[in-house]
Parts: sequence; C-alpha cells; structure tokens
Amino acid sequence: MKKFFSNIKKYYKYAVRSAKAELKSEVADSYLNWLWWIIEPLCFMLIYTFVFGVIFPNNTPYFASFVFIGLTAWDFFNRMVTGSVKLITNNRDLVTKVYIPKYILLLSKSFTYLFKMGISLMITFGLMIFQHVPLSIHILWFIPIIIILYIISFGIGMLLMHFGVTLNDLGNLTNIVLKMVFYLSGIFYNINEKLGTKNPKLCFILLRANPIAFCMNELRKTMLFAKGPSIEGLLFWLVIGLILCAIGAHVIHKNENSYAKVI
Amino acid sequence: MKKTTKKKEEKKNIAVTVKDLHISYRGLKKTSIRASWKHLGDKVEVFEALKGVSFEIEEGKILGIIGQNGAGKSTMLRAIAGIFSPDNGSIDLHNRTISLLSIGVGFNKKLTGKENIYLSGMLLGFSEEEISAKEKEIIDFADIGDFIKKPVKTYSSGMYSKLAFAITAILETDIMLIDEVLSVGDAKFKEKSYNKMKELISDTHRTVIIVSHSLDTIRELCDEVLWLEKGEVIMKGSAEEVIPKYEEFMSV
Repeated sequence: MKKFFSNIKKYYKYAVRSAKAELKSEVADSYLNWLWWIIEPLCFMLIYTFVFGVIFPNNTPYFASFVFIGLTAWDFFNRMVTGSVKLITNNRDLVTKVYIPKYILLLSKSFTYLFKMGISLMITFGLMIFQHVPLSIHILWFIPIIIILYIISFGIGMLLMHFGVTLNDLGNLTNIVLKMVFYLSGIFYNINEKLGTKNPKLCFILLRANPIAFCMNELRKTMLFAKGPSIEGLLFWLVIGLILCAIGAHVIHKNENSYAKVI
Repeated sequence: MKKTTKKKEEKKNIAVTVKDLHISYRGLKKTSIRASWKHLGDKVEVFEALKGVSFEIEEGKILGIIGQNGAGKSTMLRAIAGIFSPDNGSIDLHNRTISLLSIGVGFNKKLTGKENIYLSGMLLGFSEEEISAKEKEIIDFADIGDFIKKPVKTYSSGMYSKLAFAITAILETDIMLIDEVLSVGDAKFKEKSYNKMKELISDTHRTVIIVSHSLDTIRELCDEVLWLEKGEVIMKGSAEEVIPKYEEFMSV
C-alpha cells in the first residue's frame, strides 16, 4: 500500500498531463469539439425523460433531474469499467517500452472521466435550478458520495485491468454485466416507486447490494429530496471500495512486470 | 556480502551488476474465459529467454551485446531497464538512473510536438521542470522548424523520428540502453544523430549497453562485447577478441 501511494505521488503529474492530452486530442478535430461533452449527456437525458416520463408516465417529481443524476453516476462507472478492460493492451507501446506503474494508466483515464462527470454535474445543477428543485444543505453530500463511487470504480477497474490482459474475451462478459447493472440500477425509473410497496425486500436488495444503484439513490435523496444519506450504507461501501482498491493494487504490483511479456 | 561489494567498488566503479539472470515467458498467457477453465491445472509451456546470465559493467564503459535473433538480447535490455522483473537472479544498478532509448514512447499523435516532448519525457521519468529546462535544446536538436507547434500526425516519418530521437538523446540518464536505433531521418540528420549518439556514449561517466547486429558499429563504439546465444553467455571480452570468433561462428 505504501508503494501504491508513493507511486501515485510520483506519477500524479504525468497522469494529469496525459489526461489533459487525451481530452484535448478527443476534441482536436471534431467540428463541435468540446460541445459534445454537453450535447451527449443532454440528449440521452431527453430520450430517457421522453420514454419514461411521457410514454411510461410515473409519479417521480423532477423526473428530468432524477434521470440526469442517474446518468451522471452511471456514465462514470460505465466508462471506468469499459475503459479498464483493454487498457493495458491498448497501451502496448507504453507497457513494453518503459516502466510505469500500470494503475497510473487507469488513474489518468479516470481523470478524463471525472472531468466529464464534472460537466455532467454542472448540467444537473442547471437543470435542478430550472426545475425549481428546493435546495437544501444536504446537497453537499454529493461530494462524499462521488468520492465513494470513485473509489469503488477504481478498485473494480484495477482488477478488470489485470484480468483483461490475459482474458481476451473479458470484454464480452463485462458488457453483459454492465447491461444488467444498467437496467437494475434504476437510471430511468424509480426503484422505490416501482417496488417499494409491492416487493420491499427486492427493493431493499436492489438498492443496497448494487453499489451503483446505492450511490445513485443516495445522490437523488440528498440532491433532489432534501434528505440525509444513509451513513452506514456509505461507510459500508467505502470500506468495500477500499478493500477492492487494496486487492487491485496488490494484484497489479505482483503481476505488472509480466504484462509486457504477454501482450 | 556487504564487505565484498564495498571492496569491489573501491577497485572499480561498477555501474551494472547482473547476477545469474533467468527470464522465462510463461505464467500469464493470453486465453479466453472458456479456455482458462479447461486449462486450469495444466502445465504451461515455459520458454526460457535467458538462462543464468551474469556480468558486470564498470562506470563509463560501453558494452555491446551481439548474438543471433532470439538469443535474448532485447529481453535482457528490457529486464535491465526494469520493464520485466527477473524470474531468478538479480540486477543491481547501484542507484543510477536508467533509460531504454526508445523512439516515440507515449506520443499522442493528435497533439503538437511541444506537448509530446512533455508527455514522452515525463514517461521516461523526468520532472516537468527538468524537461522545460531542456525544451529549447530538444527543439533545436530536432530541427523541424515550425512543425513543433503542429500536431504530430502531420509530420513526415522522418520528422517524427527526429523529434523522438531528440527527446531521448537530450534527456540523458546515467545508464543508457540502446536497441538498434543508431541512425534516423535523412542523411544529414543521420550523421547528426550518429554523432550525438557517439557524444552521449563517450561521456566518461555514462555507462552504455548497445544491442546491435551491425558488427562495425559495435567494433567502433564498444569497449567490451558480450556474445549471447540461446540465452547463455558464450563469451565476454574486448571487441577484437569476441567479434572474429562470432563471425567465424556465424559463417559456419
């Protein structure tokens, strides 16, 4: 663990620079360049709001903001998972030519995703003001909740990154799991409303056993409905996230020198 | 143990000590999820690239490594650079900085040459300050004019290698590992880069290991030559001693 932090400290600047470089190169030759970072989440929100707010109506207040918060959290997690599976193979050049602690690659990627999540959050706040969501001090809980989401995603990312080196078809499996998590997390529907009275047990499991659904639910509770979060839930997932990170860092330290031989 | 190393360092300043180095390619193997179930518990095939190589280099010396394709030359360079860890044995650099001279590591083709100097340099282990101190020197050496402010993807392949070479040549380390990249670019730059390389190499404090198939290069530059064959050391000695024997071996 000590090695992990000293490496992060040593390569932090490189990670930031390479994240900036990637963001820059992403928009370098597209016509609308950075506007895409706003247009994309906005359009998805409109689609979901139309389908699940108009075609399948529901009683959730501030539904557009509700969907947008879900999308913000989901996009980040989804990008972290999809991005990490092929991360080492995609950076073949780096891995075989210089030594760099491999999670620095993930760290750098995660910074680009955090940046996009930041944009998404700003749009969320704009939308909340537009929808006249009553503001409360509980909104500030979004900071610790997102930190926890980040830690969990980083831990899972490190593990997938490791297994992605040797398992060619890990990507297929993660796609299926991600699809499942996507539909079960209640991004475009309200788990509490649909299941809360009909099947409270299932509702409880869905919201507690799935870290993404949990983070989303807590974000919505604190940001939209002026309620405090479930502290013990947050602590639980924080601990799980830290454990995942510790295992991930350990696995990578143990194996990273062999990656260059495999790819 | 401590005593003996100390004694040695008094006599001559050892820059690199490689002891009984074994490297094999195995363990992690690319498979699919289904296959990984099937092969659970199977014995994996092991390819031994290096079988117990030991040698030492004094500070300021230039070591050439020769051998046929697949003799383990590049594997050894990468191991010394720290990209692989040895399966057995040890590599001691005695706290010196090291770099494997490789062209264009970490380049992002959509960004400008200038930005890539930083990206690549930081990957090689230099800090932002160190790079900005040498930025001008790198740009001057690369000599690609205004293209330095343009995205790397607009470069010709010659310009690309000029910039890449300049980065690795100007950002110097105590120990340099060179894997067959002695000349790049057009005729003029080729000469310039060869001369720069010679200048870097002949610095009395810099230790250099060169892998090359060009025996002329090795003869001209190296103080010592190590001959590897199938992962084992056949001979180590001066160029005059080793190269004729190697030529004889190859002509058979």
